[in-house]
Amino acid sequence: MENNLHIIEKTDLVVARRGTTPDAVIPILQDLQLEFNYLPETALKRVCETTAISRGQISGISTFYSQFRHSPAGKHHIKVCTGTACHVKGALFVYEAFRRELKLAEDADTDESYTFTLEKIACLGCCTLAPVVRIDEVTYGHVVPEKTGEILADFLSRSQKGDSIVPETNISTSGIQGEIRIGLGSCCVASGSSEVKDELEKTLAKTRIRVNVQQVGCVGICSQVPIMEIIRPGENPTFYARIKPEEVREVILSHFKPEGYFNRARNGFFNLFEGLLADGAPKSFRRYLGEQRDTPISGFLGPQVNIATENRGATNPVDLESYTRSGGFESLRRCLFEMTPSAVTDEIINSGLRGRGGAGFPTGRKWKLVSEQSGEVKYVICNGDEGDPGAFMDRMLLESYPFRIIEGMLIAGYATGASQGIFYIRAEYPLAVMRISEALRICSERGLTGTSVMNSGFSFDIRIFGGAGAFVCGEETALIASVEGKRGLPRLRPPYPVEQGLWNKPTLINNTETLSFVPWIMQHGAAKFSAIGTTGSKGTKVFALAGKVKRGGLIEVPMGITIRQIVDEIGGGIADDRHFKAVQIGGPSGGCLPASKAGMPIDFEALKEAGTMMGSGGLIVMDETDCMVDIAHYFLSFTQSQSCGRCTFCRIGTRRMLEILEKIKNGHGTSLDLVNLEKLAISTAGGSICGLGKTAPNPVLTTLHYFHEEYEAHLTGHCPAGKCLPLIHYEVNDACIGCTKCAQRCPSDAIAFTPYEKHVIDLEKCIKCDICRQICPVDAIKIH
Amino acid sequence: MVKLTIDHKPVEVNDGTTIMEAAACLGIAIPSMCHQPGYPNHPSCMVCMVKDADRGQLIPSCSMTATEGMNILTATDEVREVRREALELLLSDHVGDCEAPCRLSCPAFMDIPLMNRLIAAGDFEQALRIVRNEIALPLILGYICPAPCEKACKRKPMDQAVSICHLKRSTAQYTERYDNGLPAMAERNGKRVAIIGTGPAGLSAAFYLQKSGYSCTLFDQHENAGGAMFYDIPADRLPKDILEAEITVIRSMGAEFRMDIEITQELFQSAIAGHFDAVVLATGTMKPGHAGIFGLQPDEHGQFVDKKKMTTSIPGIFACGNIIREQKMAVHAAAQGKMAAQSVALFLGSKIPADARPGFNSVVGHLFEPEWQEYLQEGIPDQRVEPAGGFPAGLNRDEAMHEASRCMHCDCRKPASCKLRLYAGEYGANRKRFAGPHRKRLTRSLQHELVVYESEKCIRCGLCVEITQKHGESIGLSYAGRGFDVRIAVPFGGTTAGALTTAAGECVAACPTGALTWKNCEERQSS
Repeated sequence: MENNLHIIEKTDLVVARRGTTPDAVIPILQDLQLEFNYLPETALKRVCETTAISRGQISGISTFYSQFRHSPAGKHHIKVCTGTACHVKGALFVYEAFRRELKLAEDADTDESYTFTLEKIACLGCCTLAPVVRIDEVTYGHVVPEKTGEILADFLSRSQKGDSIVPETNISTSGIQGEIRIGLGSCCVASGSSEVKDELEKTLAKTRIRVNVQQVGCVGICSQVPIMEIIRPGENPTFYARIKPEEVREVILSHFKPEGYFNRARNGFFNLFEGLLADGAPKSFRRYLGEQRDTPISGFLGPQVNIATENRGATNPVDLESYTRSGGFESLRRCLFEMTPSAVTDEIINSGLRGRGGAGFPTGRKWKLVSEQSGEVKYVICNGDEGDPGAFMDRMLLESYPFRIIEGMLIAGYATGASQGIFYIRAEYPLAVMRISEALRICSERGLTGTSVMNSGFSFDIRIFGGAGAFVCGEETALIASVEGKRGLPRLRPPYPVEQGLWNKPTLINNTETLSFVPWIMQHGAAKFSAIGTTGSKGTKVFALAGKVKRGGLIEVPMGITIRQIVDEIGGGIADDRHFKAVQIGGPSGGCLPASKAGMPIDFEALKEAGTMMGSGGLIVMDETDCMVDIAHYFLSFTQSQSCGRCTFCRIGTRRMLEILEKIKNGHGTSLDLVNLEKLAISTAGGSICGLGKTAPNPVLTTLHYFHEEYEAHLTGHCPAGKCLPLIHYEVNDACIGCTKCAQRCPSDAIAFTPYEKHVIDLEKCIKCDICRQICPVDAIKIH
Repeated sequence: MVKLTIDHKPVEVNDGTTIMEAAACLGIAIPSMCHQPGYPNHPSCMVCMVKDADRGQLIPSCSMTATEGMNILTATDEVREVRREALELLLSDHVGDCEAPCRLSCPAFMDIPLMNRLIAAGDFEQALRIVRNEIALPLILGYICPAPCEKACKRKPMDQAVSICHLKRSTAQYTERYDNGLPAMAERNGKRVAIIGTGPAGLSAAFYLQKSGYSCTLFDQHENAGGAMFYDIPADRLPKDILEAEITVIRSMGAEFRMDIEITQELFQSAIAGHFDAVVLATGTMKPGHAGIFGLQPDEHGQFVDKKKMTTSIPGIFACGNIIREQKMAVHAAAQGKMAAQSVALFLGSKIPADARPGFNSVVGHLFEPEWQEYLQEGIPDQRVEPAGGFPAGLNRDEAMHEASRCMHCDCRKPASCKLRLYAGEYGANRKRFAGPHRKRLTRSLQHELVVYESEKCIRCGLCVEITQKHGESIGLSYAGRGFDVRIAVPFGGTTAGALTTAAGECVAACPTGALTWKNCEERQSS
């Protein structure tokens, strides 16, 4: 009873904060979940008693969005990223290892002591650190299955110490000697950049070296993180890649002179330091000069063009001054005071900018359609519900350039005659939500939003709406339903949101990346933007490059660049001396292109022609150890799990396709299955009303088209890439030195402990967890 | 106004008219399951797909509004195929039997579950009427039928099958006068039919033809009517007075029996073939010379009789029973007797109504043990009743009512109005084409006084959700879950009894399948 009273009290507080209208339902549920770690039925019923929200609505909503749970969760959440990059690097092995480690029962996701809840998550957006696991706020990269126990122990020891992992403090040291930039994007943090930052602060405090320390957003060179950039006036910047905390001190001292009473000690120290260098002691970091050619960094950055990511790695995301110093909000000022709304729209039309959310609708035309609608109330929504596995462009842009996107939205609002803006940001991006809300707070204080922006008479309010875990809400009509407090079901278009959108008012929905181009176009002019790219596709495109390339990361490239250039020049080619087999573009809506098509330019039409699409910009490179049937299965299992369930073809058809793919992966497929698979794929594409269903079959259709022989091989019980577990087995070859490492680690006792003898795997007991192969020091374990 | 063409026919409609409505103006019917005027939450079923020929897209016609210059096709192979696939996908996720397995396994397609329900309610006379719709000889078959129905009974693996054969006998036994259960007799139409043979096939044909206004004359070479039933089956298995009682009924309907007549080729040609409007051969096993006597020619497969239509090479001469193929079950012969009667009637320009053998049947097949409980909710838990008076006496009245209550209502409550079944038949859908490796576990919710909810028959159109909202139901129905696992449920695990009050009727009427039904409806398909 007492417990119930306590729940009711807290529930009432949430309702008091969020309101009692039906559209408050998602924020209320989010707050309740934050409060109780799940949604107690008592709380839900209380909400129905005290608000206009019905039982049917709250049940429907709370079971639609995957963020919500109805049973208590463990104290800590382990999220195993199963994004594309993590998938191809063995995320499922990691997931299974955690299950074993936590001794989870078959249907359970929480251990018996309620310490940990284990879940898979579509993408954490740290693709270059794959496979990635996040426990609460701590991210672990390059996780291997055999280390899961150590990770749990490490996490528990950290949480006992009460470490805070992402301190969001602004260090404003008045700079004398120069500037040190340290990346604090999600990938950087996951790779240990906050420890590097701690060490840096300690060193600076002790040595009294006075420099500017800038915490900058994502640098993009995610494969080289943690990365520190040192800039001294009159010198070339120097990058330190993959730096470790214990190395920070010597790096700092090699660039800057300590002050004060350390002076005397300094000399001695320097001597020691130089001596160390002379000794050639091993260093884990790599040092690259900014101007130096042919370094991984120059190779990575060289072919890129930064528009959406302008000033990448150089500005503190929530420092308004540093944004305005580099011309920020000048475009907005020009629009408001020197241009009419229709002139602004014309400029965007002339730039040739097309929507970066996937379909590539001309942005200016969309603006014009909204501006032509009559009516007092219009909305602009920034679609930040990026949910593709293997894509994290929007997250990075929101985290690193919040002011740029806000400016883009304000310009869009002015051009279309809208007065209200909404950032729709998915639940899995807490840092993005934090940065945008901080930036919005600052803008509101400075009169950049709200009543009469910059005293121009143009008024525009912006708020944030947190998505609750439904990929389909990236579809514009489903997104609108979600903001209105409904289940995220897409509806048939027409009417389009430009005519009848949020609350049936004209609504402009632009993707995050699309809006981030707007200030640049208005500053530099349409002609300069449209000079980049191809006939139909102008400007640049941001991609998340990951998979089997040497250098992954977040890249911005001019339209028209070829896939091969991206893979070879930016990505540095294929890692581990393997071969370039295929590239997956556009995530679950896109398709797989074989290496033979790598000469194709990045262009909306060319990609569509080849059976894939730009999508939101995931770009996963695959080598010969990647099975294309497995990849098709992987993407389809994602879209299938994300179908809203409305259209028959998408709801049931994707499920049946997935079952057929499972059958093929198990070696039980028949040629009739291939016929039915293709049939269902074509019908699902044609028989679904929204983009999710229409494009979900693309990964299946493209792999069937370009890699048909791989499907055929599976029908005969053979997986050429050695990926499909039922079709493979592990064997020890003669290289084995009998070190017993594998025998000690094998979780199912399938390898007998026989020191100095060649080990043997008992195939009956083997669970194919891959641990032995990964830890074998002499590479003696092979897949057959 | 908007002008467009549908199947190349021009039509002009008001702005905002849907393609489906525009098609209706031209008299073109488009199938639809999820759509109901006044409720916006569609399309979902995608059975209403049509082709926008100019844009090359398939579009749901129930919701897409007609626009100027559209060129819509509704009947191409592509459109039919995509509709069929939508139905096949829905069927792959549909767990339910259209007809009870007992009925499907009955050669006469007798409505066994309905008979059982009427017996359980004590209405033996109405039960007998139902039996006689398909079986002319309930009393006889109540003794000698080997009861394939009982082998298919869903209750059999749980404990024992319902005692269907005895129950069928009981309908005849406990109707006050046996002929009370007779169907209304049609007026004589002046047409005469000769029936050669008085075994189960011949008697059955005579029964349905007499009932429908024909005047039958039955010829038999033996002294007593009944064929093998009289001469081969021992009296302790089928008492002679029982056989006689059944023949008396047929005689009382006006059929003439001419016994002790050996049919020769000469007799047949001179006195029968030309003198009757039609002839039904029900002679029993075909003997050498038979074909010669009646002048039959075999078809290309060497068969003398078309087994579907019961016709022979000679127009006006029909055949049924063992003359087609040797078989042990009298019920088979009886069923064919009815089919022959139907064919004769059709040949002579009328029609004998029957429960339609539907074009499509959804079949659950094997039940998982956890599902037994769902079914047992509708049947009393007791063991099968063995007649206290043994086989000769059969079940007494109370025993029959008790035994009939064991029947679990496996048959669907919307066999006639279910749109999924209707369109599946119309589009020739194959329910197994896209069948997945696992089927969902079926559930049957009976808490509501009047309404039954079977979630696994639901196509997730959500009409009921919208209807409960419109009615302002305080609990109502809602969606639960997402994607493939989405289902319609009562919020917070409540019961349908609380969820459906004023909206119940509209929900049952709107539900396109047998997911929401009236508990006590008896919907029947007729041809």
